Amino acid sequence: MKLILLKTNLKEGLDAVSHATGENTHLPILKNILLKASSNRIELAGTNLELAISKYISGKTIEEGGIAIPSGTLSSLISNLPDERINLETNSNTLVIKSDNYEARLQGMSPEEFPLIPQIKDKERYLKISGGILKEALVQVVNATQYSEWRQELNGVLFDFEESRLVFVATDSFRLSKKIIASSQFESNWPALKVIVPIKTIQELIRIIKDTEIISIYFDESQIMFISEETEVISRLIEGKFPDYEAIIPKTFETEAIIEKGNLMHALKLAGIFSGKVNDVHLKIEEGHKMIEIYSSNTQLGDNKYLLAVKSNKGMPEIIFNWRYFVDGLKAISEKDIYMGINGEDKPVIIRSVNDQSLVYLLMPIRM
Amino acid sequence: MEAEKLWQSVLGEIELQISRANYLTWLKDSKIISQEENAILIALPNNFVKEWVENKYHKMILGTVRSFNETIKKIDYVVHTQAIDLTRINKKINQEIQKQTSFSELRVDPETNLNPRYTLDSFIVGSSNELAYAAILSVIKEVGKKYNPLFIYGGVGLGKTHLIQAAGNEIKKNYKNEVKVKYIPSETYIRDIVSAIRNKRIEDTKNKYRDIDVLIIDDIQFIGGKEKTEEEFFHTFNALYENNKQIIISSDRPPRSIPTLEERLQSRFEGGMIADVGYPDYETRVAIIKSKLEEKKMTLTDDLINIIANKVKRNVRELEGVIHKISLKSEREGIIAKTVIMDTLRETISQPSLNISPQQIIQAVAHFFEISPEDLTNRSRKKEVVEPRQIAAFLMRELLNLSYPFIGEKLGKRDHTTIIHSCDKIAQGINKNASLNQKILLIKEEVYKT
Repeated sequence: MKLILLKTNLKEGLDAVSHATGENTHLPILKNILLKASSNRIELAGTNLELAISKYISGKTIEEGGIAIPSGTLSSLISNLPDERINLETNSNTLVIKSDNYEARLQGMSPEEFPLIPQIKDKERYLKISGGILKEALVQVVNATQYSEWRQELNGVLFDFEESRLVFVATDSFRLSKKIIASSQFESNWPALKVIVPIKTIQELIRIIKDTEIISIYFDESQIMFISEETEVISRLIEGKFPDYEAIIPKTFETEAIIEKGNLMHALKLAGIFSGKVNDVHLKIEEGHKMIEIYSSNTQLGDNKYLLAVKSNKGMPEIIFNWRYFVDGLKAISEKDIYMGINGEDKPVIIRSVNDQSLVYLLMPIRM
Repeated sequence: MEAEKLWQSVLGEIELQISRANYLTWLKDSKIISQEENAILIALPNNFVKEWVENKYHKMILGTVRSFNETIKKIDYVVHTQAIDLTRINKKINQEIQKQTSFSELRVDPETNLNPRYTLDSFIVGSSNELAYAAILSVIKEVGKKYNPLFIYGGVGLGKTHLIQAAGNEIKKNYKNEVKVKYIPSETYIRDIVSAIRNKRIEDTKNKYRDIDVLIIDDIQFIGGKEKTEEEFFHTFNALYENNKQIIISSDRPPRSIPTLEERLQSRFEGGMIADVGYPDYETRVAIIKSKLEEKKMTLTDDLINIIANKVKRNVRELEGVIHKISLKSEREGIIAKTVIMDTLRETISQPSLNISPQQIIQAVAHFFEISPEDLTNRSRKKEVVEPRQIAAFLMRELLNLSYPFIGEKLGKRDHTTIIHSCDKIAQGINKNASLNQKILLIKEEVYKT
């Protein structure tokens, strides 16, 4: 193999694929990335056997071939290289890296030993969506997941798709976030589909998707594949039944309140300084008052209280929340004012923006 | 050769031919799914593995398979996630005291209220509960026809809730959506009725309960004495019963012994099948311990299991608690020593030290049998006082752990051998005689109340 390419291109490629490399289970080859050059394109690939990312980069191929090289070493080498033009050449299982004043020989492994990356054969049926929209939606919901050992089905984001809408849902059983994308914003020829995509895959997608590209998504029984012009991501799906999220989201509320988001976030963070181990912060709206009280206390530190203007139809009993979870929900909302729907101190509270109902965040209180 | 054995030997052979790392990564989690005349089907944990095995190891596998069984000409591979998930179920149960509440809907089926954790498979059948178990089985088979209502009673922590919820889960599984199952703790039922009365919506509640096909009510004894709830339940009961809908009820005592239950309800409950759940015998306890250990992926030697089974006799829930504690401790300390188990047992079993005096026990027993406390301490050997006296001795021994001579002293200067005999007799009687057991439960209740 013999190549000439630009440092920026190679670096971008390495950044995309290196996160998918395995943390070494039993197989050292998983710490490597695959570099493969054929006449018309150069491919980089990394995998941990649950997820694989491939990236095509531009460069000039002089001689075809391939090699598997340790991901970490190559990445730090390339990012510290001062020159822009890089020559890569293989000498059996050694990669020779040359630039103007620099030369390195890096021990690699035969490309034959690198895992074969599976494909989805049926590309007849697809779902196409703009990278920007997909990324935004995933960023908004992914905060509500948390890795759990005993509930496999919650370790991912649900893609619930019907002709009229695409819904992303994530929950860790303490909070749930749901984002609806209207049918005008994507294109598909699947009838309906429900799959759970692992958190790790979602995080990688958020990292590598570009706003401007169009992502094509393909499925089979156990895998999902995201393809854009330069990148291919294939991941396993999580087996299991995702909880019926519609049943969890309340439809009616006793108290409905509208609060300015920035101030509320500020108040929660401030009150959070005095909160205990469970991040408990007390929220309350007195009957007839136009204020929400955000309060927390700690026997060792003291206490604090923040009053914030609120528009509400009635009072709200004191409810305790994990302020970090609360802030997670607020972060995803882009509008200035937020809407809160409350049903009592042991019922979930709903948080969304006032006008836009496509994003809903549901949070369970803390019982002290 | 059996399919599984065949695959085991193939794996054994291949393990020697390829590197350990390769074996662990690609083949360790494989399973054979089926073997036909000349083809076998192999399950692999994911697509990466499938791709690799198909392309790199297929020849070697086929060759090895054929060396064991020449007729096989074809091997197919499928992805079967279960193959890895089973081995991955984690051992740690590090549930901290979680104050953050979670969506309860995620744990319990919102439509039926049933907790999927309770299954018949995990219910351990022994002589103490086989009648109840058999009754449940026949109810599942013929919903609403055979034993209706089915009334199950027994002491605290013996598996009533498990059994009736498992029945609900099983019925739901077998009949899919054709049968509407609902599990209600009687407390929820009472709350429903109360709020219906307050909001003047009793009709809605009526209808809500009447279009259920299988109604499961837990701890029915609590509706005793709540007249309006009893009346509503009576009507609901009749409506369901008339339409051959299955009703399953649990209680901590037989219908006759629920003091404030109206007679018309009592007689209705007795009209079906009544089955009791008693204290588990030694063998059942051992079986329960073993299955719990398996759940937690722990092993204990037989004599340690023996110690636990001998110490915790009366309550399966307590047994679960002990094992849970032991598992947490063993995780923290690495090994499971006998002393750890003994300590755990001591912490768990020691009764809540209420301030009960022997005199209080005598009072309660006397009050229950409607005799005077002096009758228990004098020399009379009339039949009416002999049994109460034995019960009093038994309770003093069990609740207060007093010495035999001391109990003898308290019960009219009797010899300690007499007391030993009394305690043994009652202890044996409890397991055989449900009404005696019932009496003792009621007396205990009274002792704790005072």
